[in-house]
Amino acid sequence: MALLRIVAQMRVRRSVQASVGTWCVVCGLLIVGGLDASAQTATSREYQVKAVFLFNFAHFVEWPAGAFASADSPIVIGVLGESPFGAYLDETVQGENVSNRPLQIQRYRRVDEIKTCHVLFISRSEAHRLEQILAALRDRSILIVGDGDDFVQRGGMIRLATAQNKIRMIVSVEAAKAASLTISSKLLRSADVVTASKK
Amino acid sequence: MDFPIADLSMPGCGLLSKNQSILAVTSSTFKSARVERIPLAISSPRMTGEIPSTTGASWPATPLLAGFVLIFFAGHASSQTPQNVPPPSDLKRLSLDELQAIEVTSVSKRPEKLSAAASSIQVITGDDIRRAGATSLPEALRLASNLQVAQVGSQGWAITARGFNNTSANKLLVLVDGRAVYTPLHAGVFWDVQDTLLEDIDRIEVISGPGATLWGGNAVNGVINISTKSAKDSQGVLITGSGGSELRGAGGMRYGGKVGANVQFRAYTKYFGRDSSALPIGQQATDDWNMGQGGFRLDWDASQVDHVTVQSDVYDGRIAQPGTNHIAVSGDNVLGRWLHTLSKDSNLSLQLYYDKTHRNIPATFVEDLQTYDADFEHRFRMAAGHNVVWGLGYRVSNDDEGNSAVLSFLPARLSRRWLSGFVEDEVPLGTDRLRLTLGTKIEHNDYTGVEVQPSGRVAWTLTQRQMLWGAISRAVRTPSRIDRDFFVPLTPGSASFFLAGGPNFVSEDVRAYELGYRSEPHDRLSLTLATFYNDYGHIRSLEQLAPPAPFPLVFLNGQTGDSYGAELTAECKVTDWWRLRSGYTALRLHIRPEPGSTDTSFGSTEAHDPSHYGTLRQSLDLPAHLQFDLGFRYVGQIVNQTVPAYRELDGRLAWRATPTVEFSIVGQNLLHAHHAEFGVLATRKEAERGVDGKLVWRF
Repeated sequence: MALLRIVAQMRVRRSVQASVGTWCVVCGLLIVGGLDASAQTATSREYQVKAVFLFNFAHFVEWPAGAFASADSPIVIGVLGESPFGAYLDETVQGENVSNRPLQIQRYRRVDEIKTCHVLFISRSEAHRLEQILAALRDRSILIVGDGDDFVQRGGMIRLATAQNKIRMIVSVEAAKAASLTISSKLLRSADVVTASKK
Repeated sequence: MDFPIADLSMPGCGLLSKNQSILAVTSSTFKSARVERIPLAISSPRMTGEIPSTTGASWPATPLLAGFVLIFFAGHASSQTPQNVPPPSDLKRLSLDELQAIEVTSVSKRPEKLSAAASSIQVITGDDIRRAGATSLPEALRLASNLQVAQVGSQGWAITARGFNNTSANKLLVLVDGRAVYTPLHAGVFWDVQDTLLEDIDRIEVISGPGATLWGGNAVNGVINISTKSAKDSQGVLITGSGGSELRGAGGMRYGGKVGANVQFRAYTKYFGRDSSALPIGQQATDDWNMGQGGFRLDWDASQVDHVTVQSDVYDGRIAQPGTNHIAVSGDNVLGRWLHTLSKDSNLSLQLYYDKTHRNIPATFVEDLQTYDADFEHRFRMAAGHNVVWGLGYRVSNDDEGNSAVLSFLPARLSRRWLSGFVEDEVPLGTDRLRLTLGTKIEHNDYTGVEVQPSGRVAWTLTQRQMLWGAISRAVRTPSRIDRDFFVPLTPGSASFFLAGGPNFVSEDVRAYELGYRSEPHDRLSLTLATFYNDYGHIRSLEQLAPPAPFPLVFLNGQTGDSYGAELTAECKVTDWWRLRSGYTALRLHIRPEPGSTDTSFGSTEAHDPSHYGTLRQSLDLPAHLQFDLGFRYVGQIVNQTVPAYRELDGRLAWRATPTVEFSIVGQNLLHAHHAEFGVLATRKEAERGVDGKLVWRF
């Protein structure tokens, strides 16, 4: 019983010498040494999973007939801005078909480079001009995906939000509808659906 | 985006509080629940290699240095090593729901991930707990290297930060989902009854240093804030089963579901039986025990701006004692919390809870405690960058002691009340890179009246990857019942006493000075250093009532003391599939009698601390869905209990057979059959080596 132990054992605590200098040496070495290290380019686990989400969207979205030139023209998944996916997105779609359509990856630096595109991931690097991008793509049947804060509130269709270490889909059905896209109820069941009133 | 400015000014980021951790960057609506991980320096590293324990005269510089340099070069090496990226085919097989269940560690390169918190904080995530193979909350707390965690028998633990460790260590505030769980009986925590389904823990934040201003009473040396997942993040069925040599058998089950579009809930139940610890001579200590627990949590998005949480737990356990009847423990609690968003820059919360505990130690004492608590909190942003948070709290505890012939609390029944208010303001000093946080808590308690606990903190963002912080705070530990109302008769049943609480016992206090540094010198490496100097006054002493007669003794505040030390952590993601974490803490605590005091213990009844301890942990993801983790710890000797220094190793190997089924085997304390962590030899109980297997099935 802890309460009783308080009365036991009265002994003088020996004081021990200390040296703080060691800390300074350790920290100094680490900081100086670490600063020159080069940045990493590997795709993080987070963006590997997000790449697979993009691939999945091709299965769960219906485009209007006019979105494709022919019955076997590819579904184009585009990335606008600095791509966080590395080569992983390309590996993900390699050799895959959705409704007999092959999948194709394209990368865009500017919004006016986007010609044919079906799923567009807007990188965080473009967050500051998201409104202009969305205005430029208005009325085009492109599923617009991103992962920035307030992406859906600002007019995006699907946000891949990283919350508590997991990825969650936040979907604006209205925004998709406005672009004549139909998102499968199967996807919506797994997602957080945001309605217009919540914008 | 420029560095942290936006996030520093976000409510809930720069200012820590009970309901909004630094990890929760709360947006304009709770509905959208933007809870992004800020992983950098605030993780829970462990540490370190071989440390000579013989002399104790100087700190072990060389092995440490070697350890860090090793980590550092490993980090460099990774730049040239190809990344082990799991092939997309593995992920493509998963459904959308399964994809959403995958745990990803956000390594976002955005600069705001550098934590803005101006305090020494470490975060243990649910994933960390799983990978460490922890089977109880105290075991999980070993992952925070700024905590001293010592096992004292099968069910007892001594846990503190920055010194004063004891089985009733009384300078720590421990919260479980906003509910304070330290007992007003002795201001310590009965760790055996603090439990939940570990799989449903979202994170544990461990702050070393005073947190009294914002967090509340008892946060003299640190705060442990345990948060479970919201019901939304614990949907579906989870079944766990484990068994082995120390954890004799354990099982848990959780079901999470929805009611309509806006209400989500989960309900859980768990049970475990644990083997005895060992006596120093190797025999069993007869303290085997078992406990069952159940509960629920409900989260309701009542509107776009209102979120309501209701949760409850109930538990019941039996702990064996040699030669007498079992100790019986039981309890239940109910908590409700309402979060309301007033505007983009303003929100408030109201929390109410009821907590009941029962502990019957046959022939020693029985305690029944009921606590009622109400907390209100409002945070808002003002012009000129001020982030303000203020709150009010009221608590009532009704205590009923069943006294025995060997010890009593007088009066046996007592109702105590606390009324508190706090205000804190965070403001930029000319530039957003330099921010000052000033605040104070004012609390009224029945024993000592009004107590004021102010603090001032400065956070200085040097670059996008480096931050300095400093703080000066005052905190108090107000008297608990043991300090005032305790009574140990000279002989069982006698009216004259051997030891008694002191009617003149006042609050213990500390003035704490802190200086810290956080750095992310490399995308894959983060470092933190927190240093402190604490100046304690009015530390509890045992005074002879009629010297030179050695007895009777009364509690008084006849000691003073100071401590200083440093907490160093390093985390290195060597590759995407190999992570190293380490932590090292050094501590010097000196306690002296005040002039006139008859207590010559120099603190040896109050504090049992190693002068240094460290951990090193590695997490390895292997092909074929295997995970391999090792955690090594070194703890220096506890001089005033003659507990020798020890080294121990825990390990876990897990295989995710399918996306829903995981098998694991966990080994704890692998290096010795049994080893001492705490306590004088006469009453010491030692932790044993344990190996157990576990199955987790989610669907």
